[in-house]
Amino acid sequence: MKERLSELMDGELDDRSAAAVLEALGRDREARQAWGTYHMTGDAMRGGRPLSEGFAARLSARLAAEPTVLAPRALPAESRKWFALSAAASLAAVALVGWMAFAPRPQVAPSAAPVAQAQPEAKPNIVPLPTAANDYLLAHQGFSPRVSLQGMAPYVRTVSEQAVEPRR
Amino acid sequence: MLRAFLIAVALGSGAAQAQSPETLGWLRKMHDATQKLSYTGTFVYQNGPRSETSRITRYVDASGDIEKLEVLDGMPREIVRTKDTVRCYLPGLRLVKVDRRTERDFPALLPERITALARHYDISLGETRRIANFDCQAVVLTPRDNLRYGYRLYADTNSGMLLRAVTVDAAGEQVEQFTFTQLTIGGVSREMVKSRHASRSWRTEDTEAAPARLVGWGLSSELPGFQKIFELKRRLGESRSAGQVVYSDGLAAVSVFIESLEGRSDPVRTGLASMGAIHIYTREVANHMVTVVGEAPATSVQRIANAVEYRRPQ
Repeated sequence: MKERLSELMDGELDDRSAAAVLEALGRDREARQAWGTYHMTGDAMRGGRPLSEGFAARLSARLAAEPTVLAPRALPAESRKWFALSAAASLAAVALVGWMAFAPRPQVAPSAAPVAQAQPEAKPNIVPLPTAANDYLLAHQGFSPRVSLQGMAPYVRTVSEQAVEPRR
Repeated sequence: MLRAFLIAVALGSGAAQAQSPETLGWLRKMHDATQKLSYTGTFVYQNGPRSETSRITRYVDASGDIEKLEVLDGMPREIVRTKDTVRCYLPGLRLVKVDRRTERDFPALLPERITALARHYDISLGETRRIANFDCQAVVLTPRDNLRYGYRLYADTNSGMLLRAVTVDAAGEQVEQFTFTQLTIGGVSREMVKSRHASRSWRTEDTEAAPARLVGWGLSSELPGFQKIFELKRRLGESRSAGQVVYSDGLAAVSVFIESLEGRSDPVRTGLASMGAIHIYTREVANHMVTVVGEAPATSVQRIANAVEYRRPQ
């Protein structure tokens, strides 16, 4: 698999093989990590600045917040492949993260009628955790019904490091 | 777009499915274990690249239960929960934050509500796996829409004790995980759940929370599946008073905090902040700062925040 990945990165695969590898990437977490690592390695060798930590997660969050209007009927396999290939060809790693955020979940059967999705939300402005995050979390956590399945373990989020800065 | 389609499919095909009694039985078993067992163990909380080790100890007797959580990495922190208070000890700041409640305020995923969970999650049995020397059964909760996260819960096949809880997003990626690396069931004394801090001379921040109605405040439209479960007035931090409204789908919860901006000098930073499965969205409404906090996808937290409105009482 890793060999196929590096071939894909170097543009050595024909359309059919590339599509197969991209399919596999959608399923295989390890392969995705390898894909990310290859790109980071490549970037480092070319002297590029690495993406900041958590970039992929933030990008996914931004993408997830993008308008989702009406559910389309099945997207033809052809257009999906095209999207994937163009993603690989251009901003490979970045685009792929986005693509994977939308990747199909295997257990779903493409047959039912479309259902209207809720109104889209505007793209949020990303800000650091509020200084009082700890207060909010402590106040909130105890109301989560999860406590009755898990005891107070979720409270650990209340006091995670960055939330415990002294207040001004 | 593709995802919207898939979610639509999931909604269309799954909504009416009944959950197997065996699966719901596992959730009840976890619930009962959490209420009845005394235990002590070490667990790792992981969110993205960060992980943190903590020790949790729970002591149960006829008068109720006491639970203690100690964070073992980084800055020492300790939280002790008794029947009606949660005390958070921060020795670095010589500060104790006290969250008081009446007992009925503690939310409970009551056994009868477990069945209702199936309205929002497809609940199925997953694989069996050995975790920290316990043979565990996975119970998988797959959300029926994109408004909540999915969960994989691994429970000890004997006691029902939850050994690992994984939160996953719509793409199936792990958002955060709690997992025990060591656990001993039983053999806990009352002494073990006492705070080890002599905090008498520390500063105390008391929340003084009490049920109340927040007149005029509400949501222009509720988020599907999330119902209002509590409404209260409280203090946050040292002196700020705030209203808090909690919405829940039976498993995930989202709190709306409302604080007056009167007399506040620093500007409100509006927008979205994230930490693992927790999202915090801040905006201004009617000269108040509205802060929405919840273990739900960013879109859900944002939607609830954007629906918060104030209507002057007639």
